[in-house]
Amino acid sequence: MTETAGKSAEPRAGGWLLVAGAWIAVGIPLLWGVWMTLKKAAQLFR
Amino acid sequence: MAGFLSRERTVAGPGFNRWLVPPAALAIHLSIGMAYGLSVFWLPLSKAIGITQSAPEDWKVSAVGWTFTIAIFWLGTSAAIFGAWLERAGPRKAGVAAACCWAGGFVLGAIGVKTHQLWLLLVGVGVVGGIGLGLGYISPVSTLIKWFPDRRGLATGLAIMGFGGGAMIGAPLADRLIKHYATPTSVGVWETFLTLGAIYFVAMLAGAFGYRVPPKDWRPAGWTPPAQPQKKMMAQGHVHVDRAWRLPQFWLLWGVLCMNVSAGIGVLGMASPMIQEIFGGKMIGAGGVALADLTTAQKAEVASIAAGFTGLLSLANIIGRLFWASLSDTLGRKRTYMIFFAAGAVLYALVPLAGKLGNPALFVGIFFVILTMYGGGFATIPAYLADIFGTQFVGAIHGRLLTAWSTAGILGPILVNYIREFQISRGVPAASAYNVTMYILAALLVVGFFCNLAMTPVKEEHFMSELDLGTMGATPAK
Repeated sequence: MTETAGKSAEPRAGGWLLVAGAWIAVGIPLLWGVWMTLKKAAQLFR
Repeated sequence: MAGFLSRERTVAGPGFNRWLVPPAALAIHLSIGMAYGLSVFWLPLSKAIGITQSAPEDWKVSAVGWTFTIAIFWLGTSAAIFGAWLERAGPRKAGVAAACCWAGGFVLGAIGVKTHQLWLLLVGVGVVGGIGLGLGYISPVSTLIKWFPDRRGLATGLAIMGFGGGAMIGAPLADRLIKHYATPTSVGVWETFLTLGAIYFVAMLAGAFGYRVPPKDWRPAGWTPPAQPQKKMMAQGHVHVDRAWRLPQFWLLWGVLCMNVSAGIGVLGMASPMIQEIFGGKMIGAGGVALADLTTAQKAEVASIAAGFTGLLSLANIIGRLFWASLSDTLGRKRTYMIFFAAGAVLYALVPLAGKLGNPALFVGIFFVILTMYGGGFATIPAYLADIFGTQFVGAIHGRLLTAWSTAGILGPILVNYIREFQISRGVPAASAYNVTMYILAALLVVGFFCNLAMTPVKEEHFMSELDLGTMGATPAK
């Protein structure tokens, strides 16, 4: 399935690179937050 | 500038990749999700004048804690008030307004802390920030559902997961900033407020400018709307927001959300004291010793383990948002909520048994699953609304439904705290004081089960006409 908009539904050149960049931008802080929480939660299993 | 923010200017051009919209939504939800991490400020704020310890003029923790309650109240209220405006104005304008309110709230709060005026903190972070929460929370919902008609649950789950995860980033970040800014004359809170306000402003603007709405009649290539009768619960038209809230389906879903959230929010608020009081010394290898009989050092160790439990529940909350919302695309929304309520009621009722058995692993496991379903309830509701009322006004309808969250934010903690205090006043040991509470929370879920069971599709007569939809430039009935 094509994931793009418009009648032609042709992906713009570099479109998936932009998608990857956007996900990395939000993913890095989210993963940092998950890591910090996991470190805190690890005390439960000491 | 106003034109640049308008809905018309956000229509995606050819070649736009729809997978760019969820990270834009996530940027906003991760920012406003810090609402759940605000408690990191309460203790330093209670020493804002005394610095090392509370001075007589210092604010009480209970007083500054109102900031969160007010913010959550305004989240639901502003979502209900501004939802219909959002549908007209478009997600980008709403996202920018949310950024101004949320970041502006932190700036006002910083002034309030610096000048030691509690009302300014409450109005700034509580009211203005709370309006930003409401606008930011609902801003991507309608857009995501229109971009992902084939995976509504996944799309809204991805965004709403951010609201659960925002505190995971914001709370440790704020903690570090407070320590960084702390001086002999300042506890470092107002400086942290300003820094966070700036960070959130930039992140939310980036998200708002990343929003694009799909062109009229757009649908994913190769996808066709499901035909009747396989998907009986999938609306074949659109219900106007002003009509939707007069229909029983709206109030049944209101009950579904309110009951699910009341039960979960009640548990989240008492998770730390609950595990400490139920298991006491058993958590540190001193089985049979009640919490009250532990030494100060042992109590600190138990409290640290309980903090780990709270952290684990936060993780369960965000995992559930993505997992259950995505699964609902396959299972169907009604069936997914049936699982939440049936399994949830059984699990709540099993908590006293886990406490009696003295099995912390079973206890933690039960609450982990319960909290995934709490998060899942939040993330699946926009897709449920779209299935029942159509996609045209789903953002506005979702906004009005969030009043159920505001109600649950008051109902859940009150139920849990007052029942516990009543039990203790009747001489029930602290370790057993939660048992009745758990049965009452299970009963709330049973009420939610019947609300969900009673859900039926909206009759065709309530759908907007082709003429109405055409006037709005909307996509006609699918």
